[in-house]
Amino acid sequence: MSAFITKRLLYTVVILFAASLLIFSLYALTPGDFITGNIKLTPERKAELREIYGLNKPVLERYAIWLKNALHGDLGYSMAQQKPVLTLFNQYIWNSFLLAAVSTFLTWVTAVIIGCVAAYKQYSWFDTLVMVAIFAAMSLPSFFIGLFLIKILAVDWKLLPPGGMIATGSQATGLAYVKEVIHHMTLPVIVMTIMGVGSLARYIRGSMIDVIKQDYIRTARAKGLKERKVLFTHALRNAMLPAITLVGFELPALFGGSLIIEKIFNWPGIGQLYLTSFGLRDYPLLMGFTVLIAILTVIGTLLSDILYRVADPRVRLQ
Amino acid sequence: MKKSIASLSALLIAGSLFLSACSSDKGGNSANESANTPAASPTASAPADSGVIQASDLSKLPDTAKQRTDTIIVGLTDPSGAFTPYFHQSGYDGNVSSLLYTPLVTVDNKGVPIPALAESWDISPDNLTYTFHLRKDLKFSDGSPLTADDVAFTWTLLHDKAYDGDSQVPALHVKGGEAYKEGKASSIEGIKVIDPLTVSVTLEQPNASALTTLGSDVLSKAYYGKDYKFGQLDYIKKLHEKPVGTGPYKLEKFIPGQEVRFVANEYYYKGKPKTEHFIYKTSEGDTWQFLETGEIDFASFSATQENIEKLKSLGFVNILPYTPSTYGYLQVNLEHEALKDKKVRQAIAYGLDRQSIYVDANQGAGAVANIPSSPISWAYTEEGINPYKYDPEKAKALLDEAGWKVGADGIREKDGKQLTIHYLGSKKKDTDIFIAVAKENFAELGIKFEPEVFADFNALVSKVEGGDYDLASFSTPLLTDPADGLIQFVDGEIKGYDNPKFKELYDKGLATNDLEERKQIYKELFQLANDELPVIFTNYRKTVYAYNGRIQNLDVSPFNGIAPSLPDWYLQ
Repeated sequence: MSAFITKRLLYTVVILFAASLLIFSLYALTPGDFITGNIKLTPERKAELREIYGLNKPVLERYAIWLKNALHGDLGYSMAQQKPVLTLFNQYIWNSFLLAAVSTFLTWVTAVIIGCVAAYKQYSWFDTLVMVAIFAAMSLPSFFIGLFLIKILAVDWKLLPPGGMIATGSQATGLAYVKEVIHHMTLPVIVMTIMGVGSLARYIRGSMIDVIKQDYIRTARAKGLKERKVLFTHALRNAMLPAITLVGFELPALFGGSLIIEKIFNWPGIGQLYLTSFGLRDYPLLMGFTVLIAILTVIGTLLSDILYRVADPRVRLQ
Repeated sequence: MKKSIASLSALLIAGSLFLSACSSDKGGNSANESANTPAASPTASAPADSGVIQASDLSKLPDTAKQRTDTIIVGLTDPSGAFTPYFHQSGYDGNVSSLLYTPLVTVDNKGVPIPALAESWDISPDNLTYTFHLRKDLKFSDGSPLTADDVAFTWTLLHDKAYDGDSQVPALHVKGGEAYKEGKASSIEGIKVIDPLTVSVTLEQPNASALTTLGSDVLSKAYYGKDYKFGQLDYIKKLHEKPVGTGPYKLEKFIPGQEVRFVANEYYYKGKPKTEHFIYKTSEGDTWQFLETGEIDFASFSATQENIEKLKSLGFVNILPYTPSTYGYLQVNLEHEALKDKKVRQAIAYGLDRQSIYVDANQGAGAVANIPSSPISWAYTEEGINPYKYDPEKAKALLDEAGWKVGADGIREKDGKQLTIHYLGSKKKDTDIFIAVAKENFAELGIKFEPEVFADFNALVSKVEGGDYDLASFSTPLLTDPADGLIQFVDGEIKGYDNPKFKELYDKGLATNDLEERKQIYKELFQLANDELPVIFTNYRKTVYAYNGRIQNLDVSPFNGIAPSLPDWYLQ
């Protein structure tokens, strides 16, 4: 096991190195740079600023400078936001994480319950109804569901706030603050859960149906075990095996923010910040964020492999 | 990551939805849209008379808004936290800093300079030396006095070689400025502190826009200059979120991505503002939902009939029509043989149905432009200006004259080459309309039309800079002085346009500070540009501001936004 992890970590370093070079070149080669978009500047001033920012240097040299600083833990200053990239991460990522973590948790819980019941009562009215609802939710774009719910729940019925993370100008602290944030995150969490639950529930339903037909389930029932125990201990555990691989892949999504949801619900997350910074060619922020996601993706994959081993002792990692 | 890329295309669709709903198309870049010269003028809170539609039924006001008694909330797309004037990169930060700082000289609603922190100013007869006389007892928001030293420090700082903002002060050619920038002098020769209330600056060449450019915000030397060493400005970044200013409001708290909270500044030179609290709420997406639920008090929308009807039906908002101080144009590639010919450019101006594209298709939220000036500037004129009314016959005649004859397949040809227009536009509703109408217009003229749409503004600009285009849609940034709208024709920005007469007039227009004299010069310049069409002028935008009917004394300056009238706002 430890040999496996060492080997994987070694690969990880190589992969990240190659990925960062690729990402850096892609960003650098996208037409236009940070200066281009500012139409207030004269051509001379533009040249002067490129000199100050070092944007007139060759791409490889710029990459080398970036890499050197990054290895020293310095991801640089965001050009547009005029703040260290790490400070920005700290200000925005946790907001995204909060949304993603809660909705991922709810998505999994709901999907597992729906998947199990639907598989157990295959082709029943419940199964059919749920599957129709799931397909409907999956085929609607998230901005539509989001805007629709805002219209109904926030604007017309005034049950929930239309967006943001706290009430504007709120002085709430402590428990009142927590309550306020929960109140504000309800809508985006609902939408994210609706969007995510469909595919996962179908996945779990499918693998549950397979498992239920296995001999060992028949054996368990023949032993006279309670149906609940058969279903949730014996069947579910085996049905969840393929799903466990998905857990690791969720990791980057937890921190990556959601572009659409954050925009619609005016949520102060990293997804919006990333999109803006791409439009502005804010290289340090773009690089910092993309590399962070790359790191999380690699770690997530590793985590999946290890989890698989934990869940299924038959799997040998080499 | 995979997830976010996959959602990107969907987002673009969603984004275009928002764009059409929210106030103003930004030309893709946030930095373009800002009130970049903050101000607080005594006269700016003029009666909001010109066509304000009053709220019909204030009882419809949502409870959220009713409960506020000493706070006004305005939506702002995305302030980032760099609130030091001259140093912010985003126009939204400019909006924030315009409330935190007051300039020496501001402009009224026509763009004419009026006093702010400077009580008065003298300009030497040769138009080279500007002397500013400060008001007595000015104080920064931390209570420390503001003197001529602070003004001199601000101008000096902008000449530092590490300065990376977009202030035009370093481009004014202050005497000795270049020597300071190169590190050859320890101070700037042309900047003189005469006494604590008087400071003067001498330029190497006259420039009429110097008065407002120099007469901008003042940074405290004691605060911003404490750690200053030549060539080293990084320390200022640490002060961005802790501004010490002279504006009507002080920064109370900045919550990234959510709010900028202000509290009234008791040291403001015109006295403490009437409303204690003010908040800029970050609102990236649609602002309708926040206005409708009373979460914000003020928002701007495109002046389409549909939007105005919807706003009227809300009942609790006043609606204020507004024309931003910009103009839209089609940049023409003057390095391409066909477009070098003035007649071809004029033919395009005649042959494009600009009324349909910019006014009718926008439900009236626009007007046709024919000169490089915003319609609200003091220099604006229609005298001797050719309106280039849609006239395909005239356009065809001009093309014939220019030697472009209709070929076999209906496309005009000259010397065996077809007349083709490769058009670039950014992805938004206006571009779609343009392409739809222009396609027909150009077909009628016998011009081959090849549109290309960019989702990304920087990519569009870099393609234009590379020269691979014939026409490209742009809009200017916010224009204060009439010269702002003309500089692109003399500084090399519009490649291939080199007219000595234009340059001469441009310099002449900046060589005097006499408004009437300048008006005459600009009239001549506008007529010249209108005839030569170095770019094809297209349109002016029209927007409306909708605000909570309880707010009194609200006015929006075309040049300085809400900052000038904000100190007088109060809730009824």
